[in-house]
This record gives sequence, structure tokens and C-alpha cells, in this order.
Amino acid sequence: MVLRGPSRPPAYCALTLILVLLLPGGLTRPADAQPASDIAVVVHPDVAVDNLTIAELRRVLLGDREFWPASVRITLLIRAPIARERDVVLKTLCQMTEAQFRQHWIGKVFRADTALAPKIVYSTDMAVDYVNRIPGAITFIEASHAGRGLKVVKVEGRLPGEKDYLLH
Amino acid sequence: MTRSLRPSRAGGAALVLIVCLGAPMGTAAQTHPDQPSPAPPASEYPSLRLSGFGNVDVAVQNKSEGSRGFSEGQFVLHLASALSPRVNFFGELSFTPRTDAGTGSPQATGFNAEVERAIIRFDHSDRLKVSFGRYHTPINWWNTAFHHGAWLQTTISRPEMTQFGGRFIPVHFVGALVEGGVPAGGVNLNYQAGIGNGRGNVISRGGDAGDNNARPAYVLNAFAKPDQLFGLQVGGSFYLDRVSQPGLPEVDERIAAAHAVWQREDPEVIAEIADVRHRAVGGPSTSSNVAYYVQVAYRLPSAARLWKPYYRFEHIDIDATDPVFDIATNAVPNLDGSTAGVRFDMSTYAAIKSEVRSRRRVAGQPRTNGWFLQICFTF
Repeated sequence: MVLRGPSRPPAYCALTLILVLLLPGGLTRPADAQPASDIAVVVHPDVAVDNLTIAELRRVLLGDREFWPASVRITLLIRAPIARERDVVLKTLCQMTEAQFRQHWIGKVFRADTALAPKIVYSTDMAVDYVNRIPGAITFIEASHAGRGLKVVKVEGRLPGEKDYLLH
Repeated sequence: MTRSLRPSRAGGAALVLIVCLGAPMGTAAQTHPDQPSPAPPASEYPSLRLSGFGNVDVAVQNKSEGSRGFSEGQFVLHLASALSPRVNFFGELSFTPRTDAGTGSPQATGFNAEVERAIIRFDHSDRLKVSFGRYHTPINWWNTAFHHGAWLQTTISRPEMTQFGGRFIPVHFVGALVEGGVPAGGVNLNYQAGIGNGRGNVISRGGDAGDNNARPAYVLNAFAKPDQLFGLQVGGSFYLDRVSQPGLPEVDERIAAAHAVWQREDPEVIAEIADVRHRAVGGPSTSSNVAYYVQVAYRLPSAARLWKPYYRFEHIDIDATDPVFDIATNAVPNLDGSTAGVRFDMSTYAAIKSEVRSRRRVAGQPRTNGWFLQICFTF
């Protein structure tokens, strides 16, 4: 039977609505419709860095750079998979898929290049909390959450919200 | 870094040990480096991370060159532990099935256990890291990029010039290494300089129990990873040693090697060449042995991204008068070989690879052909 608009039974419409809401992303669709926020690069307040280039950020994310100036060890805090912040930095900075990024870090540790893999944070609040508590920490959060006395680093000389800011 | 920990001073090794011994107890064991592990507000030391690699292989060959049928590959355990913010330990253990299991007296065990790598490293900064231990010699890119985890490498087999248990280059190195890197205006220059025991009495081994002569081995490796060409690494290395074997004349060994690697997967290109030169001590002539390979792979786009076809050509040319490789116990065969295959990543941590190999050892002789399958994983 082919069901057409006006003749569709109310029960079928309700079932369709439930299925749509249950589909992956269905419940988040209203949020998706809003403009995506820039991703801010936030560091521990004592990190003596105000600006990072894309290449420098990439080297931090891939573990090729392990120290800030004055030999302060970098602690990379990164959101768990699926989080938008993680997707943006992986695609924009590392130009990698999630699988490639994971494989890169497994290889990095396996090669004995570093014993300190990225630390996973599960929420913006957790990222904000830890970046302020761990010396040398760096993380990536939605810029709209970065106004609480955090040290936001410029990327290629631009802050989130400015024209031509690259992380969004 | 505190002044008392500066590694460039004469007591660097002792200081590393003091720092290690002074690390607070309380192991925080974790699994894979990318596994979601709650970020602690402050790190605990030692923070042990354990990961493993394994593989099961199938080989079908018209002439036996290695195993046939099903075989259990290496079972590899990797341990990485930060002992303090600046001191790390890395270990790699392998368990390899023995073909002589159960024979001899006493009976050979079923697996051969080996400490492949054991490295303690002090990190002063990105520019300077000092380590001691047993390494995979940084003379060859593949040798330091993939180690014993078959899952990490695209292909089933390693290039023969860098084969584990092979003799062409010294795969293992026991000693000390200084390494680091500088941005150099976006060129990102890196260096590794080491001193160690060199080849042992069995030239495929690294002299784990001590040097077998009074001449240490030296290795210098330098490479660049330019920002503008993200994914590219080019470099070269130089290695000096004196090879001493019981009952044989001593031979000076010089190895020069170079590599160019494009590490992105669209495509992946790896090219390496090494020239191993030998001259009997006091002897008049030097022999030159050259090996190279070029490997190309491509991760297919979009829906087919789990598939990665690849091809590798490799060549080894041994000088017939070489004073080391021409001896039966050290023999390194010539090679003209092609490997073509495909890797299918069935999950983030497991892959199936299938490849065919065609190899010719002597010009004019028939080729050895084979089909190989490998299921490899990390856990």
C-alpha cells in the first residue's frame, strides 16, 4: 500500500516521528541548524605562548613537539571521538581521519617517540578544568565556552571570531 | 629542567638512574595510547601503558622460502612508562614460534622470547633527549618506524634489507643515543647520534652482553620533516663499526643510507637505499653492497577507504668478494623482488593483508613465487 500525505493514518505519522527522532543525529538536528562556533585553542595560564601557527599546532597534536618554551612539557588534552572539537582539529590540523589519528598515536608510542599519549577529556567542563590545573596543558574547546578567564591562544595571529580564523 | 638533572654533564647516566629510582611508586596501568582514559588532574608515576600486537599468517609457495601453510606470527608486547615528567621507559618483548620446538636436548621451547627493545630516556627538551638501552638501529627508516608490530606496517613482510634476523644492516643496537630536533624555520631538522656495541659474534645480533672488540660502533642519523610538505620526511644516516667474529679477520664496516618517505596514505611512498661497505683491517680493497626498495600504497577514497593496495620493488646486490657477506654463516642473498597486495582494515585495530611475492635470487634462475595472507591486530 502506498500512503500519501493527507490519507496517512495518525499512528503511522507518530511512528515515523519517533523513528526520525531515534535516528543518529535526529535529536541534535535543531543545534546543527545553528552556525558552528569556532574552536578555541586554550592553554594553561602559565604557558608562555600567545600565538601558534597551524604547523606548530599540528606538531603538538601529532606529538612531534613535546615541550613549550622553558622546557615545560606539553600535556595534550583532546576530546573523545565524535566530539566536534576533535573532528575539527583532526581534519583541519592533522588532515587525518579518526582511524589514521589513532594509528598515528599507537605508532608514536610504539616507536618509543613518547610515553605520553594524549589524554582524553569527555566534556568541555572537564577540558576547562584540567587545562587550568595541569601545567603545560593545551586543549581545544568551542569558542563560545572560552570566556571564563581561560588563556586562549591566537592561531596564525587570529583569535576565534576574527575574520579568517582557521579552526571552525 | 632543574640544573641538577642536566644530561650533558658527565654523570648523565647516573642522574637518569637517580631520577628513575626517585620516582614515586604507584603504577597506573593503562592500555592503548588512544584508548579513552580519564585525564588525571596530575600524572601518577610510573604510568605504565601496555599494548600488544599479534598476527596469524598463511603462506602458499612453489618453493619453500620461509614458512608454508598457517603460522603463528610474532606475539609482541609493548610497554611504555613515564617514570617522571622527563624520564620514560620503553620495552618491547616478542615471542616467536620456533621451527625446532621440541627437538634437541634439552628440548627447544615452543617460542623464542626476546627483549627486542629496552630503552630508558631522559627528555630535556625537544632539542635534547638522551637514552640508553637496546634499540632498533636508527640507520634505516623502516627499522625505526614499524618495529615488531605487523599491524603498523602496510605490507605483510618487511623489506628484506631490514628483515628481523637479517644480516644486511645491523637491526639492533645496544648503547646510548642522543636525539632531538629544531624547527629550523619550518624545515624541522631532527638528529640522532649514538655509540654502542655494534654487531656481535653473530652479525645479525647486537652484542647484548657486551662489545666483542675494543671499537665501539657509531651511528648518526638526520632527517627533515618540512611543514610546507606535511607528510614528507627525507634523511640519511651513517654507521661505523668494526666487525669481529671468532676465527675470522676483523673487518671495518661503513654504512651510508638515505630515505625519502611520504607518510600520507593518499599516496604512501617509501624509498630507502643503503650501501654497506666492508674492508678487511689493513686490507687493500673495499667491497660495496647495495640494497634499496621503493614501496607505493594508496588508501582508496570514500566508501572504499578500508582498502589500501600496495606494491614494492626491492633489490639487493652483494659483492661476490665481500669479506663478511661472502662467508657461509653470514651469507646475504641477492634479490630482485616484487610484492603486490592489498590491505583491508576490518576495524580500527585489525587488518587483513593479502600479497603475492615474486623473487629472483640469481640472474637466469627461476623466480620463487608465493601468495601470503596475514591477519594482524593490536590490542
